[in-house]
Amino acid sequence: MTHASINGRMIQPKPGQTILQAAQELGITIPTLCYHPDLSPVGSCRLCLVEIEGWRQKVAACVTPIRPGMVIYTETPGLVEVRRFILSLLLRHYYDAGYGGRERPETEFEHWVRVYQVERRRDSQAQPRFAIPSDPHPLVWVDWNKCILCTRCVRACAEIQGRFVWGVADRGERAHIVAGLGSSMLEARCESCGACAAYCPTGALDDKMALGWGRPDKIVRSVCSYCGVGCGIRLQVKNNRIIRVSGDEQAPVNGLHLCVKGRYGFDYVHHPERLRRPRVRRYLLSGRSKSEATAAEREWVEVDWDTALDLAAEKLTQIWRESGSDALGVLASAKCTNEENYLMQKFARQVLGTQNVDHCARLCHSSTVAALSLAFGSGAMSNTMHDVAEHAQALFIIGSNVTEQHPVFGSMLRQAVLRRRIPLVVADPRRIDITEFATLHLQHLPGTDIALLNGLMHIILKNGWHDTRFIAERCENFEAFAASLEAYPPEKVAEITHVPVAALQRAAEILARHKPVAAIWAMGITQHTTGVMNVLALANLQMLLGNLGVPGGGVNPLRGQNNVQGACDMGALPNVFPGYQPVSDAQIVRKFDAAWALQPTLRSSDVSPTLGLAGKPGLTVTEMVHQFGTGQIRALYVLGEDLALTEPDLPHTRQSLAQGEFLILQEIFPSETSVFADILLPGVSFAEKSGTFTNTERRVQLVRAALEPMGDARPDWHIIADLARRVLARQGRYPAGPWAGWQYTSPSAIFEEMAALTPLYAGISHARLEHETLHWPVPDKNHPGTPILFVHGFPRGRGRFHVVEHLPPAEWPDAEYPLLLTTGRVLYHWHGGELTRRSMVMQLCPRPVVEIHPDDAARFGLNGTRQVRLRSRRGEMLAYVQITTRVAPGVVFGNFHFPGPNNVNNLTNAALDPVSKIPEFKVAAVRLEPVPEAC
Amino acid sequence: MAFEPVLLRHLQIPGIQHLDTYQAHGGYQALKRALELTPEQVVQLVKDSGLRGRGGAGFPTGVKWGFIPKDHPGPIYLCVNADESEPGTFNNRILMEGDPHQVLEGTIISAYAIRASVAYIYIRYEYGRAYRILQRAIEELYKHGLLGRNILGKAGFNLDIYIHRGAGAYICGEETGLIESLEGKRAWPRIKPPFPAVQGLFQKPTIVNNVETLACVKHILERGPQWFRSIGVPPDPNNPRDIGSFGPKLYCLSGHVNRPGCYELPLGITARELIEKYGGGVWNGRRVKAIIPGGLSMGFMSDQELDTPLDFNGPLKVGCLGLGTAAVIVIDDRTSMIDVLYNSCRFFAHESCGQCTPCREGTAWMTKILARIRRGEGYLDDLDLLLEIANGIGIMPGTTICGLADGAAWPVKTAITKFRAEFEDYIRNSRSRSVTLRETTKTL
Ligand SMILES: Cc1cc2nc3c(=O)[nH]c(=O)nc-3n(C[C@H](O)[C@H](O)[C@H](O)COP(=O)(O)O)c2cc1C
Ligand code: SF4
Ligand code: SF4
Ligand code: SF4
Ligand code: FES
Repeated sequence: MTHASINGRMIQPKPGQTILQAAQELGITIPTLCYHPDLSPVGSCRLCLVEIEGWRQKVAACVTPIRPGMVIYTETPGLVEVRRFILSLLLRHYYDAGYGGRERPETEFEHWVRVYQVERRRDSQAQPRFAIPSDPHPLVWVDWNKCILCTRCVRACAEIQGRFVWGVADRGERAHIVAGLGSSMLEARCESCGACAAYCPTGALDDKMALGWGRPDKIVRSVCSYCGVGCGIRLQVKNNRIIRVSGDEQAPVNGLHLCVKGRYGFDYVHHPERLRRPRVRRYLLSGRSKSEATAAEREWVEVDWDTALDLAAEKLTQIWRESGSDALGVLASAKCTNEENYLMQKFARQVLGTQNVDHCARLCHSSTVAALSLAFGSGAMSNTMHDVAEHAQALFIIGSNVTEQHPVFGSMLRQAVLRRRIPLVVADPRRIDITEFATLHLQHLPGTDIALLNGLMHIILKNGWHDTRFIAERCENFEAFAASLEAYPPEKVAEITHVPVAALQRAAEILARHKPVAAIWAMGITQHTTGVMNVLALANLQMLLGNLGVPGGGVNPLRGQNNVQGACDMGALPNVFPGYQPVSDAQIVRKFDAAWALQPTLRSSDVSPTLGLAGKPGLTVTEMVHQFGTGQIRALYVLGEDLALTEPDLPHTRQSLAQGEFLILQEIFPSETSVFADILLPGVSFAEKSGTFTNTERRVQLVRAALEPMGDARPDWHIIADLARRVLARQGRYPAGPWAGWQYTSPSAIFEEMAALTPLYAGISHARLEHETLHWPVPDKNHPGTPILFVHGFPRGRGRFHVVEHLPPAEWPDAEYPLLLTTGRVLYHWHGGELTRRSMVMQLCPRPVVEIHPDDAARFGLNGTRQVRLRSRRGEMLAYVQITTRVAPGVVFGNFHFPGPNNVNNLTNAALDPVSKIPEFKVAAVRLEPVPEAC
Repeated sequence: MAFEPVLLRHLQIPGIQHLDTYQAHGGYQALKRALELTPEQVVQLVKDSGLRGRGGAGFPTGVKWGFIPKDHPGPIYLCVNADESEPGTFNNRILMEGDPHQVLEGTIISAYAIRASVAYIYIRYEYGRAYRILQRAIEELYKHGLLGRNILGKAGFNLDIYIHRGAGAYICGEETGLIESLEGKRAWPRIKPPFPAVQGLFQKPTIVNNVETLACVKHILERGPQWFRSIGVPPDPNNPRDIGSFGPKLYCLSGHVNRPGCYELPLGITARELIEKYGGGVWNGRRVKAIIPGGLSMGFMSDQELDTPLDFNGPLKVGCLGLGTAAVIVIDDRTSMIDVLYNSCRFFAHESCGQCTPCREGTAWMTKILARIRRGEGYLDDLDLLLEIANGIGIMPGTTICGLADGAAWPVKTAITKFRAEFEDYIRNSRSRSVTLRETTKTL
């Protein structure tokens, strides 16, 4: 007998399949409460009991394997009685205080109580047993009176988030869920991801922000607007307001899981400071020049769109005529969609005729893109997040605070360590959270990554652990590279990096003895004057170990912003057109000249049309800002970038912005940068527009508008196109090439144009993305996408080993500035904090802090002071003290989430990597002084 | 032929807790015999003996050992269940305190048979004396090459024994609760399958056996399975499910008797004989009202049922859950069954691990009802409600993960069906009393 039957329907049991799963396959519903497909089964609520013919006992369908020959019944009168009994037992202690209104969405538990028509019986609890709320968490609502002890929250926290906040205390009916050993959630190290609430079937744990809003009018699938992980979300909308964000169970990246920012950081969308109408400075209306304007004339005036856009177009055209294309600069945005970034670079190149287009990727992964292009010919993450989490045999994380910056991927890595028990080596100057899961933590000094990596490779080579076959067949320049490693014996490396020799040996052995190893990095590697060389060293390591082109291996830079990968892909970079087609390639330039051709052409003598673009890269962000100050750049058009928070050496940045001639800023909030703007154009948040984002693993996903724009604000693609049309009109030119026009009716039309010009994206369209997500390259309409790169070779042919040598950072502590400052972000904030400071999430990290080692606290006489002032050669910062051994003695850590005097970028060094022009955010020399309590 | 005690035989010998004395009385000869056999042969001997677990469920020990996957690369674990928390049960303590090497010898033989390389003795915290005695005995064994590597020169037979002291929960005696607790977790019983023999401690094959079961193993090796089968009760030919109850059993007799204690007798002795012949009858010249045949969770037998043989099959015939641990508690005719049942319910409600809905909520609810009845606030239909709850949480098989809920349900079911009149009288009388009382108070 090979079949079993459920309620008379035949099914062929699969190995390991439970009765419940088999029933679901047949579309038969068995009521469940403690079961959830994402969690390990416990079989404790007993609601799913079923009967099997010939068996004395009933069995729990969620945990009982189905076997051939079983004759199963799921809904007999006897079972209905059992279920009603069990639900009535659960009702004994269930107490609903009635908040949330009548329109409150029905919970899973309430559903079954209703379906089985169960009522409370004798001796049930008449009073609440617990305080409401039962925990002071600002975002997660806790009401133990509704808890039915299904332990889904306990399992969700442990198995999905890997945090182990929840447990069960006591026994019998006194058993109850506790955080930690009976503390508050936050004291028990809750990371506020909300997984417990997402999996709770009763509302005992819930999203506090959603309470009282009732049921949504609609639910829109979209993509999180925070980080490059690209989690799928469901925006629950009521009356043009997001009332709740939940994970999208169909989302390939994350399923139901989200991090704190994705789940609870959405309310900035509705913040009262949202820009609702265009603003211009009064002097623009009166025609007075900026330098002569009085304070009153510098004030903002709200105007209509025509006024604002005409003023902007007029001024851009004027400068274009007077000083030429290269007096103009465009900054695109990694927060905006692919479509908008495509338009921004098209605006720069076609309308303004300049290669001066860049965006904040300059500040995060420009060194990665440059280095990986040199080594392999392609600059993106080679494997996918799931591939790394499921198939890597060991993990090497260097310079990536992954659980705080890419939280959902961080939790996948925790799961990989917990479930598959694979070794994890973390190299980081700080004892970041993921080190708790590490087999080994190498706490090297900031700025010594090359020495560390070369030292590890030295050991690997000396032991003959390298992959000779891979090197011989797929790489080049090995000999010169191998010879260069001679200079990095463990003792010397230990001295430079402060990592003990034994740890170096052990790390090398772990990395070499497990195959494949996935190498994962982020800004800890890239934001250095040696950023490109740091990444080359990682490329060397992965070639040496033969970890490329295979599942579970690869080079895996984690991109920061939600669409920084896409913004790069779209060519919002000064050296490449969309899809990394180099501006230095004459053939490529001709292609775009033709596609975007305008009439009349600039030099009418030319036979073929030309946009007059330089065949060499334009300026980078940092350079543009600097030249804006010096007057070489006369106007900047900036999309959603807060330069006055995120650039290094902010005092200089602010000065440049203040001196600049004309700044158009397209934003959703008045920002630090808007202080310096001449025109402020209100764009919209991700929730009010459609388009696509490309996440860190090259996965292109659809963003869907869920709300009407706030006030008069307009989708950014709409604004860019409008401005382009107005400038072209004033220039007296009109579109002639096949893709030269600006009359877009929808983002999908923009995408279509982009795909036609971008081989990497050629096979993607919004229509396809409606029902799938795709990893580029996707060369044609039938291509399934490319989750893993380099399987059949490298785009440049052979992978190239580069000789890279340790170089000290541009600035190093000395007697005057004795501490080494390194910078980064914290879990609860995003980038400059422009969004998260306007969200409820802010409550979890309301103040700027710097991390200081206890030894240094003593050394600099902090003596209990709560605030300190940090000074560097460039500026100063005021922050609260957090004394912690997360940092090593001599190292302090600060973040750039807070404005003005509280921003660490007042201190950072603008020294640049010579190739990628990335600034050295990660190393600066500072000194520290306590600030007396009064101020 | 008069029955000669086996398990308790050496208890009176001074110094028997020491290895040399134990060996002088033939100790560790059985182990030597075992090591001359293959592990499979030892398993076969135990199968042949018909030995059934003494921890409560009466599962055939040899059969359980046979569930370990063949050719498993190891490690395989043996857990000695010394949590002994079933109310009324104390024979494990007597064995461990009185003759620790007998227990350890049985443990080492069994470990050999199942190819375990580590054995954990999980002992309840309150057994401090037993713990110290066992610990000392284990140290002696290491010193004399009876534990550690290549035991008694047998190449490749390695065994370490560790004692783990529990922290005081009944549920830690349930075998998978015990395993969870050993792993450092909350003792929440696991769902089965997988059974521990396939996936137990640290996900490895694991056998959990009671102390007394393991002590029996030593004697089976010493005297052979036929000897073991010569004691006790053969299978009931009318009951195809009965596989017989063989060997000696340590009956723990407590409650209202003149001579409570631990008596080693052949399986199958009747309750009446145990109480009258060995226990010296009910105290103060009273009569039996009810007995608990095998630890509280088995339910109650009435005075009409005292001729039931206390073998694995007997108590079933009079509506009890089984023989359990063969711990007989005698309740005299002056004791209120309402009080007894309230106590029983309170115990199980207190000890329910809280995992399964029926057990967590049902045990608490039953306790609440009984407390109400005792206070004089009972209703007659509370009795049916109690039966309904008992049925829903434990009498109906499969409603919970482990057997605790069954254990909570059977006392309720048997007490109410066998002593219903007493409950009804109490409810009627006490209710009118309390109503009168309340009314009086009101008028005052
Ligand atoms: C709630 C509960 C408590 C138990 N407590 C004990 C105990 O204290 N000691 C014991 O040996 N078995 C106890 N058992 C039985 C064990 O689960 C297991 O069946 C036994 O240890 C197996 O050993 P055996 O086959 O040698 O009897 C308990 C079972 C349940 C359901
Ligand atoms: S809080 Fe919710 S998820 Fe957690 S045990 Fe209670 S009902 Fe289940
Ligand atoms: S991990 Fe990133 S994409 Fe996912 S929810 Fe968090 S911030 Fe959003
Ligand atoms: S039956 Fe009771 S004691 Fe056993 S696992 Fe379930 S709740 Fe725990
Ligand atoms: S859903 Fe199966 S026991 Fe809870």
